[in-house]
Amino acid sequence: MPSSRILPEFELLLPESISEAVSLLAKYKDKAAVMAGGTDLIVSMTKGIAPDYVISLAEIPDLDYVSYSKTKGLRIGAMAALSKVADAPEVKEHYPALWKAAAINGTPQTRNMGTVVGNLLRASPSGDPCCAILAIGGSVVLEGPKGKREVSIDDFFLKYRVTARKPDELAIEVKLPPISNGICSAFQKMKRVTLDLAKVNAAVCLDMSGKTCKEARIAMGAVAPIPIRLKKSEALLKNVPITDTILKKVAETVPTEISPIDDVRSTAEYRREVSGVLVKRVIEEACSGK
Amino acid sequence: MKKRAITLYINGEGYDLNVPVHHTLLQVIRDQLNLTDVKYGCGRGECGTCTVLVDDERISCTDTDATTKYCVSKPGKRKAILACMTLAATMDGKHITTVAGLNKDGELHPVQQAFVEEGAIQCGFCTPGMVLKGVAILEKNPKPTETEIRNELEGNICRCTGYVKVVKAVERASELMASKRKR
Repeated sequence: MPSSRILPEFELLLPESISEAVSLLAKYKDKAAVMAGGTDLIVSMTKGIAPDYVISLAEIPDLDYVSYSKTKGLRIGAMAALSKVADAPEVKEHYPALWKAAAINGTPQTRNMGTVVGNLLRASPSGDPCCAILAIGGSVVLEGPKGKREVSIDDFFLKYRVTARKPDELAIEVKLPPISNGICSAFQKMKRVTLDLAKVNAAVCLDMSGKTCKEARIAMGAVAPIPIRLKKSEALLKNVPITDTILKKVAETVPTEISPIDDVRSTAEYRREVSGVLVKRVIEEACSGK
Repeated sequence: MKKRAITLYINGEGYDLNVPVHHTLLQVIRDQLNLTDVKYGCGRGECGTCTVLVDDERISCTDTDATTKYCVSKPGKRKAILACMTLAATMDGKHITTVAGLNKDGELHPVQQAFVEEGAIQCGFCTPGMVLKGVAILEKNPKPTETEIRNELEGNICRCTGYVKVVKAVERASELMASKRKR
């Protein structure tokens, strides 16, 4: 009987190193759930979902880094909390879409516990950091028994709540590319109440040369089974100055690229109606910094 | 493992415990240690009633009295977390502050004092979490604006007050703490 007072029982494993965690995953694979902040896993447990094994990363040192270098970009460790990412001045300055996503997701308390990497692994279509990172670009670093591999964020979300991580792999960090001068980004989220999941969210990352957009990446969440990029709308922004006409065309194209559904937070009709306007506003916000 | 031997420091007091791994920090604090000033609200991470403060780093306690195991954590960065969403077994060695640990030598913490003065307590159920969150706000930002306070209180739900007096209490506490520093 699922209960929010008493969690189901499980075996807790507390590896003290990444390699120990990987060997545990190789041993237990799908029978084990990895726990970083716990904000997703424990909620699932209150609903009765109980893995046999929980591999907690709490005893592995130095996994909570948020490190930025001008040449190498941003690296966020698996245990780095959303609030740590949101408080990092380099994130706010160079990756504003991710900064905003990390700063408004959930509540202040869950932001002190939940992690960016955990949000990517949860792969909810409405994930705020998922949407922001999909727009900015980057890759997830996975470590398995055979070693490390990197999966581009474009190839990371496979289908509803399924990622490219194999059962014997541990996601150890997410990497975002270095930001050149013309790059700007923004993220916006529409929701019912303050701590709600997005009913629809959008992020853009633009490579600008003066008033001309050389290239754009547009990501949206809660409008498809996975966070998606809007390739047709992106194509409209290739090597063009950003004018009202172009923005109007983008706003008209966006609804044709999404497949929203009715759910508790909104309806397909509403999501379709607002999607174009939301993307237009996010593009305007991204450009406003320049 | 199904049980883990851990040490928790709660309001300076060290507790050696053997906790079932599936017990939340909230369960251990309330049911095992009988420290019922931390309340159970929703159990799902949405209401903030079970908010406690945790020191950002694990502080190794060398100055413990062998008999009482009392360890005062050095001023670190205390952050607000939810006890219902935390497994007690993962909190070994952590320093936790609950609302009962805020008063010093019989004197109320300025945030507690302000909540009383402003009449920000009605049924009192959200109050432990609200007060601790107020402390967390002011330790990070001693002079917050009303908007900043309201944003930071988003994770604490109150069904009685409509939040107005709670916000005023945090503002009042900010003044009280500023005047204390001047002394």
